[in-house]
Amino acid sequence: MKNIFLKTTGLIMTGLVIANLFVFISGIVISDEINNFEQKTDNLHKINLTLEKEAANLGSIKFALSQAKEFGFTNSTAPQYIDQLKFAYR
Amino acid sequence: MKIKFIFLLFIVFYLTIVVRLFFLQVIYSPANKSEYLKTNKLNPIRGRIYDQENQALVLNQNSYQLYVEPKKIEDKDKLLRLLSESLKVEEASISAKLDMSKYWVAIAGGLPQEQKDKIDKLNLKGIGFDYQTKRFYPEASLSAHILGFLGKDNQGEDVGHLGLEGFYDRDLRGLPGFVETERDILGRPILIGVQQRVEAEDGRDLILTIDKNVQEISKNRLLEGLEKYKAKKGCVITADPKTMAILSLVCLPDYDIEKYYLFNENFYKNLAIADLYEPGSVFKPLIVAAALDEKKIKPNDTYNETGQIAVGEYNIKTWNDKYEGKISMTRILEKSSNVGMVYIGEKLGNKKIYNYLEKFGFGQNTGIDLEGEASGYLKPKANWYPIDYATVTFGQGIAITPIQMIRAFASIINGGYLMKPYIVQKIISKNKITEIKPQVERRVVSQMTSEIIRKMLISTVENAEAKWDRPKGFLIGGKTGTAQVPIKGIYDASKTIASFIGFAPANNPRFLTFVILYEPQSSQWGSETAAPLFFEITKDLIVYYGISPSQ
Repeated sequence: MKNIFLKTTGLIMTGLVIANLFVFISGIVISDEINNFEQKTDNLHKINLTLEKEAANLGSIKFALSQAKEFGFTNSTAPQYIDQLKFAYR
Repeated sequence: MKIKFIFLLFIVFYLTIVVRLFFLQVIYSPANKSEYLKTNKLNPIRGRIYDQENQALVLNQNSYQLYVEPKKIEDKDKLLRLLSESLKVEEASISAKLDMSKYWVAIAGGLPQEQKDKIDKLNLKGIGFDYQTKRFYPEASLSAHILGFLGKDNQGEDVGHLGLEGFYDRDLRGLPGFVETERDILGRPILIGVQQRVEAEDGRDLILTIDKNVQEISKNRLLEGLEKYKAKKGCVITADPKTMAILSLVCLPDYDIEKYYLFNENFYKNLAIADLYEPGSVFKPLIVAAALDEKKIKPNDTYNETGQIAVGEYNIKTWNDKYEGKISMTRILEKSSNVGMVYIGEKLGNKKIYNYLEKFGFGQNTGIDLEGEASGYLKPKANWYPIDYATVTFGQGIAITPIQMIRAFASIINGGYLMKPYIVQKIISKNKITEIKPQVERRVVSQMTSEIIRKMLISTVENAEAKWDRPKGFLIGGKTGTAQVPIKGIYDASKTIASFIGFAPANNPRFLTFVILYEPQSSQWGSETAAPLFFEITKDLIVYYGISPSQ
């Protein structure tokens, strides 16, 4: 009787220790995941701000003006008419 | 015997844990609470600002504050040298900040990501970065006076100043949240411990009535105008006259919005809403509209303009001291006759003049949603002398702001409604979009009066004494103004405020533009400075809006 009681208690204790270990390790794993997700969220947030900035820069009048200058769309481009032959002979 | 030994071992083991917990939770608590209980403030993201086409005017960007922990520094000289090179700051100024007796010293704020990465690569011991966000302006200072800027209060917290940042500070800043978690020694959350998180509520985004292209056109043209006419300063305001939605508002000189702290506070003043001035002849159509509305005059009534008029001890004359004899009410506006206006004022009567000034909203805030508006000054009726009633008919002797002027003018061409000017048309929060509708303050003149005065103003442009390079085929209405500037109670003839207020297309106005140049040197007259500038802007806007010619 005493043996059965001791064996049962031993088994229960071992089971509890294993369950405890399992919960403990799972907790650490999930904590790690939470930590990783927090960092990823922060990074995504930072990347989002950077992309938003880049998109706004590309849509800005400043950028359009610089592009216009690069492609020669400026006020200084004087039209030359074909009916003014002196230009045609140049 | 074995069982007793194991039992004893367990007792010792648990006692050790209990004693350790007692030390951690009772003896060292709460001083060491922060080692495992981490409470972080969750900063909300400040609201962004967009123009009417959802093009960004103000965004947030990543930024870092560089700090040093002096106790952890290994080689101070190397650290100073490398930081000086990276930050492009003198070693001496970093050294001056570096108090070795402290645990934490802030060195530089507002560092962009690239600069942070560069300093990170130096692998310096004893430095670190705190994450922050800062304002970013894709269009630079295009709308400095409208936007305002983000400064710091006494506690070092962000606070909006002037313009929209000031007016909508509470909407833009949002509400901070917090997160409280128990963490292990590696900073990982302990799941069975305290976990509490209250999310921050980000600031609300603003969608403006401003069109950044109209803003760009106005700013460039104003800049050219200031140089060409050698004016000290100037403003251009463009609005939809039916709603008083502001499409552009530019005053120069302005300031670099990213480096606002380098500028004298005089540059922060938005002249369009905060500067009091005497409007001069652009004011005349308001008095004419009042007289028409009261049926005291009709456009074709005549007035015999024979010469100067004496009011008390003062003589009132026309700008060129020339007189045309019998002229119509429309002609009074066309030639901007001061004596003719005094006649209209007399027909209207002093009491009615004062009533209409109040109805047009002078002496009151317009309520425009920008911080820093001045209300103007309309002195009490009891303090008005006959000369005041005479001079106010041609816009002298009354102090108003440009925004009050354009609002009152809009009311006489939009069917008679005095509208509240506004710049924000939508406020967007996470779950809600609040639309701001045009707001009628009151009716000032009738629909009929409005139509008559609009035709008179078209005639004023068509038959003005000055001939302008107007866009052909388009009906444009408007009025010039040249106001003298009072200095210590005396008008200085050499200093004027030249202005032009006009609208197009005149039969169904799409925009109303008010141009003011302060003390132009090339000519003192509005007809020779502000008016040509107005027509340059109008040509650009006609092309931009794709308005077809009507004639």
